[in-house]
Amino acid sequence: MDTGLIGILTALLAASVRMATPLTLAGLGETFSEKSGILNIGLEGIMLSGAFFSFIFAYYSQSILLGLLGGCLGGVFISMIHGYLSVRLNVDQTIAGLALNFLALGLTSFFFLMAFGRTTDLPECPVVHQIAIPLLSDIPIIGPAFFNQDPFIYLTFLLVALCYVVLHRTEWGINIQATGEHPRAADAAGISVSGTRYRAALLNGVFGGLGGSYLTLALLGFFMENITSGKGYIALVVVILGRRHPVGVLMAAILVGAAEALQFRMQTMGFGIPSQVFNMFPYVITVLVLLFSIGKNRTPAALGEPYIRNNR
Amino acid sequence: MKKGSFKIFGLVLMAVLTLGLALPSSSLARNIKVALLLSGPANDGGWNAVALKGLKDAEKKFGIETAYTEHVSVADSESAFIDYAAQGYDLIIGHGFQFGEPAVRVGKRFSRVKFVAIESNFSSKNTASFRMSIEQAGYLMGIIVASMSETGVIGIVGGMEVPSIVKYIEAYKIGAKSQRSDIKILESYVGTFTDVAKGKEAAMAMIDQNADVLSHIANQAGTGVIKAAQAKGLMATGDSWDQNVIAPKTIICSALYHVPTLVLNVVKLVKEGNFKGGIYNQGMEDGVVALSPFHSFESKVPASVKKKVASLTKKISNGSFTVPLIEKRTSN
Repeated sequence: MDTGLIGILTALLAASVRMATPLTLAGLGETFSEKSGILNIGLEGIMLSGAFFSFIFAYYSQSILLGLLGGCLGGVFISMIHGYLSVRLNVDQTIAGLALNFLALGLTSFFFLMAFGRTTDLPECPVVHQIAIPLLSDIPIIGPAFFNQDPFIYLTFLLVALCYVVLHRTEWGINIQATGEHPRAADAAGISVSGTRYRAALLNGVFGGLGGSYLTLALLGFFMENITSGKGYIALVVVILGRRHPVGVLMAAILVGAAEALQFRMQTMGFGIPSQVFNMFPYVITVLVLLFSIGKNRTPAALGEPYIRNNR
Repeated sequence: MKKGSFKIFGLVLMAVLTLGLALPSSSLARNIKVALLLSGPANDGGWNAVALKGLKDAEKKFGIETAYTEHVSVADSESAFIDYAAQGYDLIIGHGFQFGEPAVRVGKRFSRVKFVAIESNFSSKNTASFRMSIEQAGYLMGIIVASMSETGVIGIVGGMEVPSIVKYIEAYKIGAKSQRSDIKILESYVGTFTDVAKGKEAAMAMIDQNADVLSHIANQAGTGVIKAAQAKGLMATGDSWDQNVIAPKTIICSALYHVPTLVLNVVKLVKEGNFKGGIYNQGMEDGVVALSPFHSFESKVPASVKKKVASLTKKISNGSFTVPLIEKRTSN
């Protein structure tokens, strides 16, 4: 492999995009949810459940498409519980989300143990492979990073564009935003607040489940207890960093991914700096960016607040 | 409540109390009682599972009484030690470096009870730390890996930069350089033992820099390293248990740590009355550290290297060769 500057940059960018993909997918789902007024901290649980069910479906059917379906269903399962708790039962959304994270961790570990027992060999499922897009993948640096990847990554780019259009250019997207900003006004205008929020929760589950599936169906090809190890929480940060805008979420995810990819490469250069400093790098970058973007962040006015129709 | 039921209640209570008093005295000529404290779940398929296996093996072999507690956090470890000490246990083993300091503290209050912490640096009159000399395996692994590399670049991924991991990696580097002085060694610490995706990315960063044999000492995260090597058709080494089953055409050899043997050794010392406080290093000479067979790489590893590794194993076991123990990271 080319080890010159171009080679390093290319590899770095490709790694950034790889690491950004699960964060972007989960971040898109959370964007819908938060825009509609539901703060779902349970994103980690959604991703974990998605990763688990995508693996189970793909393992037993040997089909990636069914695996994807399983991943979406797994995500929706967790997100709809959260939706029901927040929309119907008006519980504290943060607590419900946290509880679901633990529930998903316990359930997936338990089911995995039930299905495969305590084996030392690693059960594997089929994974998607790289597909180079002709011509585009020949562009130096950008080509290999964006156009010589697995189909998941192309799907992510498409979904970012689609989410932007839906959220900002369709009536339904505007309805979601209205529900999150001023549910009473939205209700008065004839928009079903709970219906809109349920649909947003559904999308959150689908996208978060896809984000989890990326780990099992593209990156690794197997499942392990707590395979997401905190990626859902990073995705929550990505949503805030990207200001709940689909393109912003993508950019923020690539930034976090790039910081992570860079620290692994810098460590191997042997600077004699403690590794903990490098491990902190992505988080330091995140905090710095958040610091410099203070004031510009617009949080939906009714975020996290249950809407009770008959209250004044 | 009626008067009759009061009577029955009183009788039962008396019976229970007498039994309770009688039990400890009847077990005076009893077997020794050993308790084990685990930091996580006993079924983690790794660190804690092997310790429990050691305890169960000791139970069978020496006929001792055993008990264990899972999920003992750092904050709870002192009270967990006190619990078992007060219940009359003879030996209490804390499985992890974090149990060392609490063991010493509780040890002062229960001078009759013996305390052991695995992989710790603390000791007192009745507290001992048992450490595995995993650097012995790291040194030999470095030799094997350097001999197998075609590009002259190798990589090793560590979990966290803590002494028990650093000593393996430092010995690995010395071993690799002794085999091939111009070898380029890439090393990084992912800062996690569980994040498989991160482990894979750390390995990919090394592969991008031409590394063709990858090693790890990072538990679950290390599985990501093996997967990266497998996906790129390169070679890797395993850690903790024989990981050849994960990727038969990728894993050259694995470093094995026989924690059950370590626990057995500890129980044996107490059982035979030879236990003394202090810090013990147990390695190849005690059957605690070993290398796995080469499996499909049996014919691919050069015969001269196999011979060298075998003779070094012998020398390490009989004490005529000592692998340097470096617990602080050095730059290449």
